[in-house]
Amino acid sequence: MIPIELYIGLSAIIFSIGLYGLMTQRNGIRILMSVELMLNAANINLVAFSSYNADLTGQVFALYSIALAACEAAIGFAILMAIFKMKGTINLDSINILRW
Amino acid sequence: MLPILSLIVLIPLVFAALTLLTKTKEQARLMALVATVSVLILTLYMYLNFDSTTAAHQFEELYQWVPSLGITYHVGVDGIAMPLILLNAIVLPFLVLFTWNDERKSPNKFYALILGTEAAVIGVFTALDFFLFYVFWELTLIPLFFMVSIWGGPNKHHASIKFFIYTHVASLVMLLGIFGLYFAAWDMTGTPTLDIPTLLAQFQLIESALLKDMIFLALLFGFIVKIPSFPFHSWQPDAYTEAPTAGSVLFVMLKIGGYGLFKIMLPMLPFTGSPNMMITIMAVLGSVSIIYGAFLALSQKDLKRMVAYSSVSHMGYVLLGAAGLVSLSVSGAMFQQFSHGLIMSVMFMSCGIINNKTGTRIMNDLGGLAQKMPKLAVIMVLTFMASLGLPGLSGFIAEVSVLAGSFGNLPAYVIIALVAIVITGAYHLWALQRTMFGVFDKKLGTITDINRYQTLSMGVIAILILYFGLNPSAVLDMMLTNSEQIASMMAVMGV
Amino acid sequence: MAVENYAFLIPLLPALAFVLTFFFGKKLPNGGAIIPIAAIATSFVISLLITLNLLANPEEVVSQSFSWFAMLNIGILVDPLAAVMLTMVTFVSLLIHIYSLGYMSHDKAQSRYFAETALFTASMLGLILSDNILQLFICWELVGVCSFLLIGFWFQKPSAATAAKKAFLTTRIGDVMFLSGIVLLFTDLFKIYNGAIPDGVYILRFDVIFSHIPEIAAMNATIFGMEVSHITIITLLFFGGAVGKSGQFPLHVWLPDAMEGPTTVSALIHAATMVTAGVYLVARTFPMFIAAPSSLLVVAYLGAFTAIFAATMGIVMNDIKRVLAYSTISQLGYMMLGLGIGATIGAEAVGISLFHLINHAFFKALLFLCAGSVIHAVGTQDMRQMGGVAKVMPITAATMIIAALALGGFGIPGTIIGTSGFFSKDAIIESAYVFGASSGMWIPYVLSIVAALLTSLYIFRLIFMTFFGKARTDYGGHESPATMTIPLSILALFALFFGGLATERFNTFVSDTFMNDFVHVNIAELAEIGGYHLGHHGHEPLIILWLPLIVAAAGLLIAALVYGMKVVNMDRLVSRNNPIYKLLYNRYYQNELFTNFFSVKVVYEGLSYAGRAIDTGFDWLVGWLSDLVLETGESLRQFQTGAVQNYATAVITGVSLLIILIKVVMEVL
Repeated sequence: MIPIELYIGLSAIIFSIGLYGLMTQRNGIRILMSVELMLNAANINLVAFSSYNADLTGQVFALYSIALAACEAAIGFAILMAIFKMKGTINLDSINILRW
Repeated sequence: MLPILSLIVLIPLVFAALTLLTKTKEQARLMALVATVSVLILTLYMYLNFDSTTAAHQFEELYQWVPSLGITYHVGVDGIAMPLILLNAIVLPFLVLFTWNDERKSPNKFYALILGTEAAVIGVFTALDFFLFYVFWELTLIPLFFMVSIWGGPNKHHASIKFFIYTHVASLVMLLGIFGLYFAAWDMTGTPTLDIPTLLAQFQLIESALLKDMIFLALLFGFIVKIPSFPFHSWQPDAYTEAPTAGSVLFVMLKIGGYGLFKIMLPMLPFTGSPNMMITIMAVLGSVSIIYGAFLALSQKDLKRMVAYSSVSHMGYVLLGAAGLVSLSVSGAMFQQFSHGLIMSVMFMSCGIINNKTGTRIMNDLGGLAQKMPKLAVIMVLTFMASLGLPGLSGFIAEVSVLAGSFGNLPAYVIIALVAIVITGAYHLWALQRTMFGVFDKKLGTITDINRYQTLSMGVIAILILYFGLNPSAVLDMMLTNSEQIASMMAVMGV
Repeated sequence: MAVENYAFLIPLLPALAFVLTFFFGKKLPNGGAIIPIAAIATSFVISLLITLNLLANPEEVVSQSFSWFAMLNIGILVDPLAAVMLTMVTFVSLLIHIYSLGYMSHDKAQSRYFAETALFTASMLGLILSDNILQLFICWELVGVCSFLLIGFWFQKPSAATAAKKAFLTTRIGDVMFLSGIVLLFTDLFKIYNGAIPDGVYILRFDVIFSHIPEIAAMNATIFGMEVSHITIITLLFFGGAVGKSGQFPLHVWLPDAMEGPTTVSALIHAATMVTAGVYLVARTFPMFIAAPSSLLVVAYLGAFTAIFAATMGIVMNDIKRVLAYSTISQLGYMMLGLGIGATIGAEAVGISLFHLINHAFFKALLFLCAGSVIHAVGTQDMRQMGGVAKVMPITAATMIIAALALGGFGIPGTIIGTSGFFSKDAIIESAYVFGASSGMWIPYVLSIVAALLTSLYIFRLIFMTFFGKARTDYGGHESPATMTIPLSILALFALFFGGLATERFNTFVSDTFMNDFVHVNIAELAEIGGYHLGHHGHEPLIILWLPLIVAAAGLLIAALVYGMKVVNMDRLVSRNNPIYKLLYNRYYQNELFTNFFSVKVVYEGLSYAGRAIDTGFDWLVGWLSDLVLETGESLRQFQTGAVQNYATAVITGVSLLIILIKVVMEVL
């Protein structure tokens, strides 16, 4: 059996990549993708612990999470499409009309 | 029995709402007159039935309100509050009469605000529950703020905001003090109460001297900003000067700071951690206010600003007398509040008239007005003399009681105040000379004397100044009863 | 009903007259002058009857008290001291009012004039009648305010308005000292009673004050390292008040300027009311002064100094009213000297001083009214433009010469022949001699003798310049109407004969004013508190009795030679190049010093502008505080970029740091 540390390590790496993307990227789609990465890192953890503890709750939660991620992506992309139509760009720095 | 105290607060409040609904100036002023006169009648009834031999609260009303927090509807008056209610009740009908023929925008709001102020100020004087007290206390701010910011002079926005923020900050500090007292007492007794007499009695049970001092200082700060006293007076000249005449008079009626000093501070004083320090603070602020206000008044060019600074000087006597802690000095300080209210309202009315008729308040541009306005000249000379402390008029009784009473305990501070008397005389006479006497300047155009509503309102108040100067016992007796109680408490505690 | 029961009417009637004249005078002929005249006449009759009663029974003084507020009272006290003052004030005031009928007949504001003079008289009468020091102070201040109104009667004139203000403010400096004295006295008495004043004891009434003098004298205060008795401080403060009101150096500056009012007002202020109030105050509280010898010394020295100081200025003035004004100051100095030497002669000092006060009232009122009559006719106050007026106005001239003789103090010692001023002024000068002989301090005596010479000199200079010689300008003029000359003649009779007729009786009558039903003060005992024993009038050498007359005659002679016969040419002396003349003419530069420099520069411009600067400072501080809050908000706002990524970065950094921190803490623990 693969030791749990490897799963956690993988999950941490993916989470960190997602976090890095979230913090550095300016493009809306890339940020959304980074968020997806972080969610999936969490899913890996959930599934791994579920399998180790022989408790299905974790896997159910992972399914919830995937469904939620899909919703989020759908709404997020829709907003970004609308912004692109309005402003011709999805660079978040230029979308600051509500700031202050 | 009639719930008089509730009525004299409710009548102006209800009429304020009704006045807002009126359409014309005639309706609005009539409403205001009816309301203020009925308050005056009720107050006079109360005054005549007032027992000035007891220091206890009279005309009390007590209903439970929010028992879980200890909030009650508790009102009542004693010898400290009664004269001040009387002062408000007397002056306001004449203030309405004074403005009877004035033209101004939205008169309905104007008179509604006057009535609102009256309700709030009388509310503070009657409240015996800190919740009510604080609500009314803050309520006084709102009408006065609008009074200045709508009908004020050229600098009205600055003045109104400054007044609002300054005094509001002070109120919040005072609220902190109230909370401190409330929770400390709750801790000890296990039952919450906001009842003022109860809390004042429980104050001495608090063990921590530091906490007691903090509570005392927080409340004191709230009160002396309202009085106002040096060095927290700088909102006052701006607000008094920029306010319309009626607003200035309402400001003068706002004696809640001094009232809090007598009603709440002095009973607490002997039980604080370091009473001598508190007395010194009050005496220093009082005597410095007296001389400082006098010097500033002397240097003013604007008549109304001069009157405003003279008010700082006069209110110094209130603090000094309170710090004197002898029944004569304390009652003299209370009397100063009363007499100052009468005198200043006529002085501000005079300033308002001069400003209206000549278009300027700069004293160097005026002169010789006595030739054109003999009636105003007589009234103005009388009130200026009262303000500089001429015997036979009410201001003198207050001054001499404060000075003679305080000298035993605070000789150095009284000497400072005595020096200021000469300066006080100087700026009053100088102002009179430059506005009323001398050669009339043709540039001021044709000037007519005051109309009969103005004559009536200013004349009656001027006669009252004379009356209370000759027969101070009319209100001084009840003040003496209460201040003797305070003084005897000090003596028991060895302060 | 006994007349004593109506004593309260004495001040009340003129006060009532004030109200009536003020509101209804305009509708009546002569501005309603008849109302105050009738009121004061009634007051005069009451005063006179009470005085006559008192003369028969000096013990039975009139005393009535009512509670006012707290432990203070309002009340009246007519003892011999008050009685003679009341009679004099009502009498002189009555004559001045009658005279004013003619003098003010052309003025538009006649009713205001009569209302204000009525109030002035009422205040002065109230002051005299007071049986407690606070009420005395109240009336004292009312007198001050009336003088303000009357000096500024022609308020359209800026100079009048300024003079009025100056009079009020200068006397107010004294008033504040007086008030301070009362405050200290009250505090001491309060302490003596230990704060528990029994019912019916009015703490500031004279009988209570006098009975506690020994206790007050026993209290000491340390001032600049010196032990000073409270009684000394209190009396000095009272005297400070008297200095202001009675125009003693250095608070005399208002008096000459007070000439801006109508001449009748000057007569009222200088003769009957106002200025005598200060002397009356010292006389009234004399038992306190006698227990404070250092205060009495101050009174004596300052009085003597003022007498000579003002007389020197009187010599060079050209304005007829100003000469008289300085003469008043000088004579008040004599009265103060008379009281001050009480250190040796006891209560008799009150009698002597009061006698001079009464006599002075007669002849000074007469001098002013004559001067008014001259001004009325000639139309100028400058003596250089007069000359030879005696031919046009014989009655005025005759009465004024009588007054001048009285002021100069002419009479024959040892007889009852002599003008009124002779008896009273000589008594003061002789007492000063006794004082010098018993204490070795001769300065007051020397000053008073020299001042007597100067007095005679300046008043006859006035007489010669005004009435004799050739007319220097074409002034026209005519004798004044009967309403003016009759009061003059009556006053002249008094100036001539009152002194000789009353001298003996008066002194014993007034000197016993502290021994009666109301108060019973043993002056000798009180004097022992002060540490000395009272002497008596001995048998002064003959030269001492004659010396005042000799110097007065010398003064008259010099004036006659210089101004009457012109045998001595004064042109070289009287010129701006002569430094002494210049100093005198400019009145020792006191106006520059006190008014222009001290009041205006130091107090007004200096201190009040400093105050303004401080106030701006406070305003700035408050503004700075509010700006600080705003700016803090502004800079804190920078952290709210609105970019989610920054927030995320902050959150993650924070969380990471927190985790590390927890980790470290756990390790340490």
